[in-house]
Amino acid sequence: MPKIMIIEDDPAIREELTLLLKNEGYTPLAITEFTDVPGQAMREHPDLLLLDIGLPGKDGFALCAALQKSIPAPVIFVTSRDAGMDEVRALSLGGDDYITKPYSVPVLLARIKVVLRRTGGGPEPADILEAGGLRLSLTKGVVSAHGKTAELTRNELQILACLMVHAGNIVSRGDLIDTLWDNQIYIDDNTLSVNMTRLRGKLAALGLPDAIKTRRGMGYQL
Amino acid sequence: MTLREFLSERMGRIVLQLICAGLAALFLFATGTQPGILAILLLVLLLVFSAKQIYDFFHQCAYLRELVAIWDGLEQKYLFAECVPPPKGLYERRLFDLIRRAGQAMTGTVSDAEASKREYREYVERWVHEIKAPITAARLICRNLDGDTRRKLIVELAQIEANIERALFYARAENPEQDCLFRQVNLGEIASQAIENHRSLLIQSHVRVETENLNHTVYTDEKWAAFILGQLLQNAARYRGAEPVITLCAKPHGKQIQLIVQDNGIGIPSHELARVFDRGFTGSNGRSRGGSTGMGLYLCKKLASFLDMGLRIVSREGEGTAVTLTFPAKENLTKL
Repeated sequence: MPKIMIIEDDPAIREELTLLLKNEGYTPLAITEFTDVPGQAMREHPDLLLLDIGLPGKDGFALCAALQKSIPAPVIFVTSRDAGMDEVRALSLGGDDYITKPYSVPVLLARIKVVLRRTGGGPEPADILEAGGLRLSLTKGVVSAHGKTAELTRNELQILACLMVHAGNIVSRGDLIDTLWDNQIYIDDNTLSVNMTRLRGKLAALGLPDAIKTRRGMGYQL
Repeated sequence: MTLREFLSERMGRIVLQLICAGLAALFLFATGTQPGILAILLLVLLLVFSAKQIYDFFHQCAYLRELVAIWDGLEQKYLFAECVPPPKGLYERRLFDLIRRAGQAMTGTVSDAEASKREYREYVERWVHEIKAPITAARLICRNLDGDTRRKLIVELAQIEANIERALFYARAENPEQDCLFRQVNLGEIASQAIENHRSLLIQSHVRVETENLNHTVYTDEKWAAFILGQLLQNAARYRGAEPVITLCAKPHGKQIQLIVQDNGIGIPSHELARVFDRGFTGSNGRSRGGSTGMGLYLCKKLASFLDMGLRIVSREGEGTAVTLTFPAKENLTKL
C-alpha cells in the first residue's frame, strides 16, 4: 500500500485529501508541523510526496530541493500558483508532476497513479478484466465469452471496462459519461445510448444478451 | 519653424526698428547731416539689425531641433521637461520652470498610479490563489455527496472557477510579458486541457465534443492558449442549440497552424458580429440569457494579440459559429 505524504497548510484540504487517499487504498500521512519537513520525511519513508508551494516558512520550491537530498520519493507539486514560470521551476527542481488547484478528484488520482507506476511504487494496471462471465483485454480491445470473441471500439471498450470494474454495482449514465471524458472521449447522452446499444448487440452475439441490465432511473449494472 | 513664421512673429519688432531708424535719419537730416553719411549709417544699422534677426532665427531653430530630438528619443514623454537644457532668456526660463514643476507633479501622479495598479494586480493574483484553496476543499468534500447533487455542485464550482480565471487573466493582460512563456506545445494537449477545465459545464450542457487532427506542434503559451480556447468552449456551451456538437479541428495554413472551433449553436446576428470583441459587449443573445459579462471574447482578443495569434469569427444566426485561431509560425515570433 503506497504511503503518500501530504504537505499542505490548508487544514480543510489536508483533512479531505487524507480521507480521499485512505478511501482509495493509500496510506496517507498529513504533516501539520512545517518546521523540519525533510526530517519527518526521512523518518516516514513515503513513496510519494504531495507538495504545496505556498507554505509557512520555507516554500515548496526550497522544500523540494531539501527533500530530494534526503529521500528518493517522487514529488508532485499541488498548488494554486499557475504561472507558466512556476511550473517550469517546479519541474526543473526535480518535481515529477505539477497539478494546479482546484483540481478535479479523478485527475488528481490518475496523476498520482501515473507517477507511482513510473517510479515503480504502484501496482501495474490490470490488462485483463474479468466479470460477469466476460473477459476483457484492455490493450487488445477484445471481449470474449463462451469461447467467442468480439472486437470493441474505443468508446465501447471504455464503457464495458467501467461497468466491469464496478461489476455488481449500478453505474449511472452521468458517471459513465464522466469516465469516458476522463479518457478523452467527449460524448453526449445520445452517443452514450448509441454506444450502449451497439455494445449490447456485440455481447448478445457472444451469447450474453442480458449481460448489461438497465436499472430504470439509476443507470446500468453488469 | 520656417523663416516666414519667424519673420511674421518678429514683424512688430522689425517695423519698430525701421521706424526708429527712419526717425533718427529724419532728425539727423534735419540737423544737417550729409546724405552720404546718412546712407552709410542706415546701411550699417540695417546690417546689424538683420544680422541679429538671422542669428536669432538659426539659434532658435537649432534649439528646437535639439528639443525634438530629445522628445523622439524619450520613452516616457512626460519626463520631457526633466531632460531638456533650460532656455537662456529670463522670461523663458521662468516659463520653463513652471512647466518643469507641472511635469514633476505629473510624474509623481503617474508613478503613484502605476504603483497602485501594480499593487492591485498583485492583490488580485494573491486573492485568486487564496480563493482556490477553499474551492479545492469544496471539490474534495463534494465527492462524499450522491451523484446528482455532486454533479450540480461541481458545475456551480466550475462556474466560480471560470469567473475567477477570467479575473486573473484580466489582471495579467495588463502586463502580459510577466507571464507569457512561449514554448513548443502540442495542440492536442492545449485542447484537452481546455476541455478538462470546462468539462462539467460541457457535460451538463449535453455537448458532444469532437476533436480532429489536433496532432500539431504550435509555438505559444500553453496556459494562455488554453484560456482562450476555454472561453470559446464556454461560449459554445452557453449559446448551444438542440443536440449541441463542438468540433475542434486543426489544419496547417502555410507555416502557421489554424485551429477551428465550430459549433452548431444559436449563432450571432450579423449586425452584432463586428462588435463581439468589444469590451463589455453582450449582444442580444447575452442579454436574453443573462449572466453574460461581455468580457470573454474581449479578453481573448487582447491575449491573442500578445500571443501573435490570429482570431477570426464567422457566424450565421441559427446555424452556428466558427472561430479560427491562427497560431504563429515559429520564425515570425517577435516578442520574447
